[in-house]
Amino acid sequence: MKELTEKLLSHLATREHEIIQARREGRKVVGYIPGGYLPEEIVIAAGAIPIGLVRGGDHSAVELSSSYICRWFDSFCRAQIGYGISGLDPYYKLLDLLAIPITDNHTRAISDVLDYNTDIEIFPFGVPHMKEESAFRYYLHGVNKFKEKAEEITGTRISYSKLREAILLCNKERELIKKISMLRTSDPPPLSGKDFVALNHGSFVADKAFMIGLLESVVTKIEEDPLRIQKRPRILLTGSTLAMGDSTVVNLIEEAGGNIVIEEFAEGIRPYWENVSTGSDLLALLAEAYFMKRVPPAWFRPGRERLDFLIELVKRFKVDGVIWYQLMFRESYKTESYYFPKRLKEEASVPMLVLESDYDPSEAGPMQTRIETFIYNLGK
Amino acid sequence: MPEYYDRIFGICGFQDTEIERERSRIERALDKIGVGPEDIPRVEQRLREQHEVELEGVRKILRAWILELLDLVLAKEEGKTVIYYGYPSIQGPGMAISSESGENVYVGCPDVVLCHTVGLIFDKLAPFLEAAETNGLPPGHGLCSLQQIRNGGLALGVVPVPDLVIASSYYCDMGSKADELLHEIYGHPAVYIDGSMDSRWGEFPRYDLERIRFLGGQLDKLFANVEKILGIEVTRRSMKKAMATSRVLYSALGQLTSLMTADPMPISGVVSGIAMNLAAASTGRSMSEGPDALSTLCKEVEGRVKSGYGILEKGAPRVLNFAHSFSDPGITHMIEKAGLALAASFVTVPPGKRDKSLKLYSLGEELAESAMRGGAYHSTYGFAKRFAEAARSLSMDGVIWGYQYNCRPMALGSHLFKQFIEEETGIPTLSLEMDYYESRTYGAEALRTKVETFAEMLRARKAKA
Repeated sequence: MKELTEKLLSHLATREHEIIQARREGRKVVGYIPGGYLPEEIVIAAGAIPIGLVRGGDHSAVELSSSYICRWFDSFCRAQIGYGISGLDPYYKLLDLLAIPITDNHTRAISDVLDYNTDIEIFPFGVPHMKEESAFRYYLHGVNKFKEKAEEITGTRISYSKLREAILLCNKERELIKKISMLRTSDPPPLSGKDFVALNHGSFVADKAFMIGLLESVVTKIEEDPLRIQKRPRILLTGSTLAMGDSTVVNLIEEAGGNIVIEEFAEGIRPYWENVSTGSDLLALLAEAYFMKRVPPAWFRPGRERLDFLIELVKRFKVDGVIWYQLMFRESYKTESYYFPKRLKEEASVPMLVLESDYDPSEAGPMQTRIETFIYNLGK
Repeated sequence: MPEYYDRIFGICGFQDTEIERERSRIERALDKIGVGPEDIPRVEQRLREQHEVELEGVRKILRAWILELLDLVLAKEEGKTVIYYGYPSIQGPGMAISSESGENVYVGCPDVVLCHTVGLIFDKLAPFLEAAETNGLPPGHGLCSLQQIRNGGLALGVVPVPDLVIASSYYCDMGSKADELLHEIYGHPAVYIDGSMDSRWGEFPRYDLERIRFLGGQLDKLFANVEKILGIEVTRRSMKKAMATSRVLYSALGQLTSLMTADPMPISGVVSGIAMNLAAASTGRSMSEGPDALSTLCKEVEGRVKSGYGILEKGAPRVLNFAHSFSDPGITHMIEKAGLALAASFVTVPPGKRDKSLKLYSLGEELAESAMRGGAYHSTYGFAKRFAEAARSLSMDGVIWGYQYNCRPMALGSHLFKQFIEEETGIPTLSLEMDYYESRTYGAEALRTKVETFAEMLRARKAKA
């Protein structure tokens, strides 16, 4: 497994240069905020390179944002403002278009602040907060507009066959990620949470063909020679955003003796539960999978579907404890974290620990104590 | 038999006979909000020093607010069906529901009512906030204080559990999420009116027509649900009826905002604030008491303008601000004492007219289109653009962008508004982090230095011009 994760790291280390080269050769790059609402298939079908701007965990980027917006916004979103304006995340400097699914006012902040303060071309993409017919139509309208925009910036007409091909490619990637994830229903799990998160994060940035090849190798490796991980308390890690680079909580849980066996995040973890069907109206099918079938984040109202799903995951993955990791000032998650533990206790007899982060390194100490205590109690 | 509170109700425009008539309601309401004899000297001092109660119009508005409070807290005891809506909300649906439903239904925005009464008059909001902090909305997380007040009001049993909540999901995330929290605790039904603020910077006043179709459809869904759940049918006719009733009120509000631009400024912003917000929070007393109260106030203010009377010296820098504190008059007075005339607000300059070629197919779409033109529900840019245009057209000397720190749609403009308004108009703008709804952290003294420095700069600039 180590060999494969190193292969991924090595690919990611050269990815920026690959993209620079591809741009020189005329390919366009479309970045997006990785909340799972932007169909990458459209970007791929237009011949452009999709990049999920998934980097986070770095307080210096949050600090940089404070010259452009007050502190009362989600840390990941403020970090994107910091990265976008400073270029501290090099991918921002390579974008021909930045698509921002407007899921709530935190992502809207990224859109407005970067639109006003940088030359990056922004494409806000509306995501309603309810699963209703009219909301579906509005989302589909956004998918259509995004397709037109992708065609405009690339100068490529997205044909049915190209889009279908892109859907099949992305379906393959999702299927493999799901397969690996489902293998973790076994006890002990065949790979660590840290490794799974690394693969999922990598999928936002890596070349699709490379990533699919790597995921296939991971599946083969696990099936042939699973890691001998100790049986330890099984943890569901959930929350608003788990960004690439925001490794503190994952490391602390595994160092404290917990096995992360499943994650559920609004941003930063690629949704992989639903594939896109291929029928006659591919855009509608994309909207169906990305919007209607997707388990919604906490900013849906009401947010019960996600909480039901968490309970289902707890049971399916035989979870011993839930760690709810939210970033500062994401009010939807904060609100749900108040009443969900009671339901969790009643319906699954599982306790929950709520942690918060502003990507401040000084949080690690108190977080460690709380995680160690929680996992110690689970083990009793 | 006179009681301890008679004096303050008298100051607030109640006649002795009315106090007698309402005594039972008053006592039950005071008991619920926790006001007793020990509070009266403080409340009286607050009324005399912070509100211009020498004006009959002010007394009448305070009376309307108190009557609204009584209606709210006693609604269930008095056998009414209770409907709450969120703040801010698109103007119209609440009034239309109210006008169609009659006496047996209370429709209002409980948190804004509590701010203007329990806060602005009685100065007793802290227990509400503390109750909310232990009921799912803890401190230190930038959670909306207005939602805390609603939550605390329910937790303390001051305001009744509603029969229906209209959650405005088209503007902020917090309001509808806080309503969801209350639904989890109390189980009442909620209708979420959704929308998507996905316009690009620079797009206002244009917009994607699909936004109107979506938001309009959501508003139509609200009316359908109100009919289904409560048996109240809302139609264009209801809206017309509501508008006809409120025409006098809105015409007087327009006159008042216009009078506020006089030099010297004739009344404190505290007065205009309580007048304007009455219509935003109440669909009952604003309609029944508002027109007379506003008309009385306008006549008195007109008299002040004619006689050249002002609460500040003539020539004081004139400032456009967003709104006044809903619960603490001391903040507005501090700004005025610093020498700034809070002469205009976001609503002083009305939005543009509807494009007559636009085809709108339902009442919901008409309301959505109207909301979009206002700017604030359109986008951050639309909001900032309306602000800049108002400041320029009214020839303001400065702008105070007092943003509600825990309201994301407003806080989003923390830096952008200042940058944009100054670039567009050249008018100096102070970005001031505030809390309109409660002032434990953002009290007048916490804001004074910034405001005084800004005022000094505006005076120097004006003198130099």
